Amino acid sequence: MNNILVRHKWEPYLWLLPSIVLMTVFVVFPIAIVFQLSFSEISRSGLVGSFIGFRNFSDAIGDPSFGTVMMNTLYWVVSVVGLSTLLGFITAMVLNKKFVGRKIARSIVVFPWATSLVIQASVWNYIIKYEYGNLNNVLLNLGIIKDAVNWRASYQIEFMWECGIGIFVTIPFVTFCVLAGLQSIDAAYYEAATVDGAGFWKKLRHVTIPLVKPSLTVSTVLNIIYVFNSFPIIYTITKGAPANKTDTLVTYLYMLAFYDQKKGPATALSVIGFVILCIVAGVYMMITMRKEDEL
Amino acid sequence: MIGLSSRPSTKRNLTAVILCLTAAALMVVLLSLPLFHFQSVLFSKKSGNTFVGDERYIAASAEVTEAAAKYQAHQALGEVSITENVTERVNSKGETTSLVTFQVVLSSSRNGWQIMASSLPFGGILRCAMLLLVGALVLMGVSLSGGMLNESLRALPKWRKSLRGISCWMVLLSLALIPITAMNTIRVFEREIIFRLSTPEAAGLTELLRSADLFLYGGTAGEGVGDMLSGLTYSSTFALWAMIPVLFLILASMVTLCKGELKSTLASGALYLFVIALCVITLYPYYVMVITAFRENSEATDMYFTHMFPTKWIWSNLADITKRGVLGYLMNSLLLAGGATLIALVCGIPAAYAMARMRFAGKKGFLGFVIMSQMFAPVVLLVGISRLMNTLHLNDSLFGLMMVNAAFNQAFAIWLLRGTFVSISSEMEQAACIDGCNTVGALIHVLLPMSAPGIVTTLIFVFINAWNEYTISTVLISTPAKNPITVGITQFSSFNMIEWQYLFASSLLATIPVIIMFLFIEKHLVSGLTSGGVKG
Repeated sequence: MNNILVRHKWEPYLWLLPSIVLMTVFVVFPIAIVFQLSFSEISRSGLVGSFIGFRNFSDAIGDPSFGTVMMNTLYWVVSVVGLSTLLGFITAMVLNKKFVGRKIARSIVVFPWATSLVIQASVWNYIIKYEYGNLNNVLLNLGIIKDAVNWRASYQIEFMWECGIGIFVTIPFVTFCVLAGLQSIDAAYYEAATVDGAGFWKKLRHVTIPLVKPSLTVSTVLNIIYVFNSFPIIYTITKGAPANKTDTLVTYLYMLAFYDQKKGPATALSVIGFVILCIVAGVYMMITMRKEDEL
Repeated sequence: MIGLSSRPSTKRNLTAVILCLTAAALMVVLLSLPLFHFQSVLFSKKSGNTFVGDERYIAASAEVTEAAAKYQAHQALGEVSITENVTERVNSKGETTSLVTFQVVLSSSRNGWQIMASSLPFGGILRCAMLLLVGALVLMGVSLSGGMLNESLRALPKWRKSLRGISCWMVLLSLALIPITAMNTIRVFEREIIFRLSTPEAAGLTELLRSADLFLYGGTAGEGVGDMLSGLTYSSTFALWAMIPVLFLILASMVTLCKGELKSTLASGALYLFVIALCVITLYPYYVMVITAFRENSEATDMYFTHMFPTKWIWSNLADITKRGVLGYLMNSLLLAGGATLIALVCGIPAAYAMARMRFAGKKGFLGFVIMSQMFAPVVLLVGISRLMNTLHLNDSLFGLMMVNAAFNQAFAIWLLRGTFVSISSEMEQAACIDGCNTVGALIHVLLPMSAPGIVTTLIFVFINAWNEYTISTVLISTPAKNPITVGITQFSSFNMIEWQYLFASSLLATIPVIIMFLFIEKHLVSGLTSGGVKG
């Protein structure tokens, strides 16, 4: 019994009130506004006009960039979440082993998580510059390459760099989630598996993965949401250029709303993004709530 | 008993010694094979307005043959050949004539012994690697002398054991020096010679040129060595790279002799290799940030990639950025992140307390609401947020930004705090309640002090999130003086010119405090994520 006595029935709601007010005003209201705007005519100066049905949506979807942007978003989310989960998992397995300097290694791995994405993106933007970038500088001075390499020869390669940087900054989060899961595993399981003669791969498949699965699920779903919403990397490095070919939904939406002043289609895109996130969030909630029932 | 257990180890040791000696012999063979091929133009002569076979052609040809003969006299140089390239063209009088280009080309290769004999830097490195290898073999031999091959490891005298350990490390070092040798050849020929030829006053260049002359041309080139070297092409052969597996074989057999088995040593070696690679890659952008922050602009945008580290550390960059308002941005960020954290905790602690300790209808609904709000980073809602702020007259104000940041961090705060509260038993609070303390008193006097680590973790986490936030700030703040640091640094990158040194100097100021804070909570974060995120 971990509850304390409550004198009045309404008391718990009083405790929740500040939090509810804060979230209602600054999270729920913007959602409502975005929905309302997406069905209204908006002039270039920002005045909200009459209800126009789905015209904003058809404008947004009819734009030739829309298909590219959605495909980019898919590539971006799948590659960044998939690879960072895999690499983060491996990193966590390694950092969970005992070795000299483990504390230092763990502290270093957390660095990218603590750094603002704009700053990380700016640094990488400098690193991969062809004319004077630091990657060429280091590789040339170490004698690994003979001539400067153009690391951003085409927009496809630039987009791959952006995905790579996305993976780089996402790994620490996955690592620490998995590490949390790994540390909660009772060593007795491994001892039992060793007695049964299980090798490394068997232990991984039958002990480690099933037991870190909950933390892996949480980190994956949260990552999908963070990565989907990730803005500064692409905005700093390519700004979606050339012609929206490296844009994801979020950067495209931003440019549409605040550079091209097409607020109508932009809000329609917001709603589309919102619906996609809702589906992901629904799946996530089902998982979490089921766990809650188990407790 | 002893006889039984030592027999397999004797066999294993013998195999290891044989393997080691075979590999060492193979190493000698590899050193005698060509490790690098070089090709350079020793002499070239153009003869225009001629026909193949006429007087001018014969004269030029004789001149070239004479020049070639001078080099051919040195047998050790390599293969000297004459190439002749004929281009036909029509001159102004309408006659067809030829332009004949003669070249004396030297193609040569150098084996390991020749490289080690040269005074070029990579010769020194290879010499070092081979000395280490020989030293290791000698030490291992000493440790094995006197019939110690059959001795089990436990009975081995300590000094013999440490000799074997040292020889393992020496081979490892020698192994690492092989790729460094290859990298150094590129560095010497591409950067130190070719590149510095354009700045003849460079120190130590003449010395280097003389060594290169001796190494490649047997000292015959003299003054013309610069021209010859600038047309140099070269490549490494498989023999150089075959040294790596051979040395690895020696290392493996020595590890077997030293540890009695190989597998776990190799596994831990791979582990350390992985960790080192991980740390190097992670720290690389920070290295770039630091060295660029203290460079001159001309050096930060140096197209010739001259230096890896600043030639002069420009500390005045820090003073320059303070003149551009960076301190103000940092203050704004401090205010913003501090305010957002305060609001998030003031709203979040009561909610987390109720969620952890009280029973009420709609608890699940509220949890769902919290989780849902965690789903929406503000970026998708930017248009809505900016419109809301207009309505509330909070646009272009730090206070509005604080509220938005606090609201979007509410979910994480409640999540982490609730996890902390649940993990603490409520007995103390119940006792306090019986003593006449109300729920508020129980929270403030009993629970909060007990959950201090969890609260500090949450506090720092929200603070860092707000400090690093960029997107909403760019939209909501329109007065430059009110920008937080993440937006403030973008003033250094205008459309056509980026002042990298200032950009990174201010990035450094924005990053260091946050990393230090993160290191404080790193330990708690793992347990916080476990209790909050994973256990539900």
